[in-house]
Amino acid sequence: MAEFVFSNAAREMEVYGYDSVVKSHCRMCHGGCGVLIYTKNGKVAKIAGDPGCPINHGTLCSKGIASHQLAYHPDRLTYPVRRVGPKASGQWEHISWDEALDTIAERILDYKEKFGAESIVMGYGTGRENEAVIYRFANLLGTPNVLTAGHFCYGPRIATSIITCGSNPIVDYENHPKCIMVWGNNLVISNPDCSKGEPFSVSVNKGAKIIAVDPRLTRIAARADVWLQLRPGTDTALALGMLNVIVNEKLYDQEFVNKHVYGWDPFVERVNDYPPDKVEEITWVPRNKIREAARLFASTKPAAIQLGVAIEQQVNCADNNRALMALMGITGNIDVPGGQVLFSTPKIRNVGQFGAHRMLPHEQSLKRVGGDRFRLAGNFAIINPKCVWDAILKEEPYPVKMLFFISSNPVMTRANAKEVYRALEKVEFMAVSDFFLTATAELADIVLPAATWLEMDYIGDFWKRHGYILPRRKVIQVGECRSDHEMLNDLAHRVGQGEYWWDTFEGGLDYILEPMGITWQEFKKLDHIRGEVRYRKYEERGFSTPTKKFELYSTLLENWGYDPLPKFREAPESPVSTPELYKKYPYILITGARSPGFFHTENRQVPWLRELHRDPLVEIHPETAKKECINEGDWVEIESPRGKVRQRAKIFAGIDPRVISAQHAWWFPEKKDPGHGWDESNVNILTDNAYNTCDPAMGATSVRTLLCKIHPEAR
Amino acid sequence: MKTYELTIDHELCWGCKTCEVACKQENRSADGIKLISVSEEEPQIVDGKLDFRYKVIVCRHCDDPPCAAVCPDEAIGKRDDGIVVMDYEICTGCRFCIDACPYDAIAFDEDERIARKCNLCHHRVDQGLIPACADNVCLAHCIHFADSNTDEN
Repeated sequence: MAEFVFSNAAREMEVYGYDSVVKSHCRMCHGGCGVLIYTKNGKVAKIAGDPGCPINHGTLCSKGIASHQLAYHPDRLTYPVRRVGPKASGQWEHISWDEALDTIAERILDYKEKFGAESIVMGYGTGRENEAVIYRFANLLGTPNVLTAGHFCYGPRIATSIITCGSNPIVDYENHPKCIMVWGNNLVISNPDCSKGEPFSVSVNKGAKIIAVDPRLTRIAARADVWLQLRPGTDTALALGMLNVIVNEKLYDQEFVNKHVYGWDPFVERVNDYPPDKVEEITWVPRNKIREAARLFASTKPAAIQLGVAIEQQVNCADNNRALMALMGITGNIDVPGGQVLFSTPKIRNVGQFGAHRMLPHEQSLKRVGGDRFRLAGNFAIINPKCVWDAILKEEPYPVKMLFFISSNPVMTRANAKEVYRALEKVEFMAVSDFFLTATAELADIVLPAATWLEMDYIGDFWKRHGYILPRRKVIQVGECRSDHEMLNDLAHRVGQGEYWWDTFEGGLDYILEPMGITWQEFKKLDHIRGEVRYRKYEERGFSTPTKKFELYSTLLENWGYDPLPKFREAPESPVSTPELYKKYPYILITGARSPGFFHTENRQVPWLRELHRDPLVEIHPETAKKECINEGDWVEIESPRGKVRQRAKIFAGIDPRVISAQHAWWFPEKKDPGHGWDESNVNILTDNAYNTCDPAMGATSVRTLLCKIHPEAR
Repeated sequence: MKTYELTIDHELCWGCKTCEVACKQENRSADGIKLISVSEEEPQIVDGKLDFRYKVIVCRHCDDPPCAAVCPDEAIGKRDDGIVVMDYEICTGCRFCIDACPYDAIAFDEDERIARKCNLCHHRVDQGLIPACADNVCLAHCIHFADSNTDEN
């Protein structure tokens, strides 16, 4: 098979008469892929993958290609606006950047003086490569409250991996794992953090065995050697069951265990609580399949686990991560070629240093909302969203007066959306920076026009753990849009932080690169820089944990008052934990299966991407559909104890008849009223955010597994 | 003599639909008109396992194209290099080709009242470039454009 055949860029320029081709770094998801941007008459005319980029080898996804439709979208906000009518009235006036930033600065200083800096909550959604700059601003301001997706996305991977083995172990696709266990992840169509779908595909094509753990039949599951179709929310039990087999059949790496793990004996005792027959009862996965998967994973070297966000949006968030890390660890796949590697970043100022966490006064860090309740999260500067809504609605433990959301649409993406909406309606002042007037932005006082990745210079992927950094180069300017980095750099001067910032944000880029002895102007001439690649670093210096070992038994969790070993908790709402409720809501609802083209709430107004999916879909097994009198394409109502929403039925035999799978983050930007249909199909109308339903250590909301009923919409 | 072909390994396709958008970017076909599309087949039990595949629907540039045979206006022709080209200037929108195509690969453009199909980016191929969908966009590496006489290995 002829791989990597691509058109010559010079010939492309010649044939189409493009003015320039610029290498850059896409950020339609969290970043990652190298791209070639062709321009004509000062505008982006075509986006293609960069064949020279080690992340994607020239391939791209639908989002990356369609980026210019996003950048030039007619509905884009291209200048700052101030709301002149009531909230959600859609009445705005054009104001200048100076006026917008002065107004925001004035409010910040006023609330800080009257209510303390903690009354100002900064926020972002999923990682958009602006997190370090937002944390820097918040820490220097003195607020410990930065509301992100970090409680239930990526943050848990970072927090649990740091306490377990010092850093996040990344699958080493460059050395081709021979067995890949894909756990609740569909990286070939989703937005994976470090490795992209292309290197995974190459490893699979080279013959890697696949074990897929997923309640839905994905194409990865269909191609898998073993597919474990588990009951949603039972991942920790399944992982502990596999660990039980590996321990009892002595399939683990004895040398690694003897020399490098901490807490082996209590760990063995814990996994002995999860024999395969008991795990079968919990997970619905037949015991023989649990054994088969455990043996295949443990006996194939090197092996790796490709995991993602699905395991994190559960009550077992931290323990799901820790149980999977235990699987990587005891099978000897940590920090080995083709396994899971603790890559080193180049010698730059990393996100933690740039984020200026040490500049937050200790007494302010003690005020982090929910910091005493969700102590793993609190120690990584992450907060649970309900803590913020309670601080606004009930003024507990103190009033939050101001929200500043940057690339975040929490009325769509945070659990219990109705409560989120009430909080945003009540908060005294809210600023938003985004591409469009979203349903969240419609509740703001001031909305700033954010630049897309095509409109900024940045050091791409500098927050990631795969060890690469790549230059993102500004190609165009759209209206008055500014990058979040430039915007905060400017605002910082207006609130008295100027001494820690720069004349323009290029100074910030130089600051990040400074330890390497290069400037942004020098870096942007390069394709990428990679940190030193070394394996089995723990043999020389141990792991970066309190015991210097791979902590199966976490001494930090123990110090913080948690069970130091992973254990399975039943989902807060399930046939087992709430049998009475199950009689009224007789299906398990899972949410958030990814669709190509969308990135959470984004891109539903981008024509090439919306054309891929016109409507929100809910997957229903044919037997269930028949029982509930639902036909393919019907609009159906999905109802939970919190509310109901509508989506269209997709009859799908790849799901258990007891399970329903609804898509997330659906709104309708084509609806021009200020609600933009935020509450019609929004799955977070259905989800819960009560504290006792969240992961006790990480504060993750359990948005992936709940109970529902479903019926055709009344016509 | 070159004879071009587009080969698709359906076993490898993950359903990411990047090819659809790469085609849109190149050909700018109107909303609702897909010259290439990826559809999901129904899951079925195969060898005791639940299985399904994605199917890429695109003109196969048949050796003996039935669409060309039924076109009353001779708007469709097979070039010597194998590419079956539909000439939109000639098409009158009779839709015979749509019915004749065994692969459901021809769309009808309601605005222009004519048929549309993949012309294998012949405007690119003639300039030494690769068709948009096969230009190394596919992260599964499942779509390839080749000279069938020389590039097979």
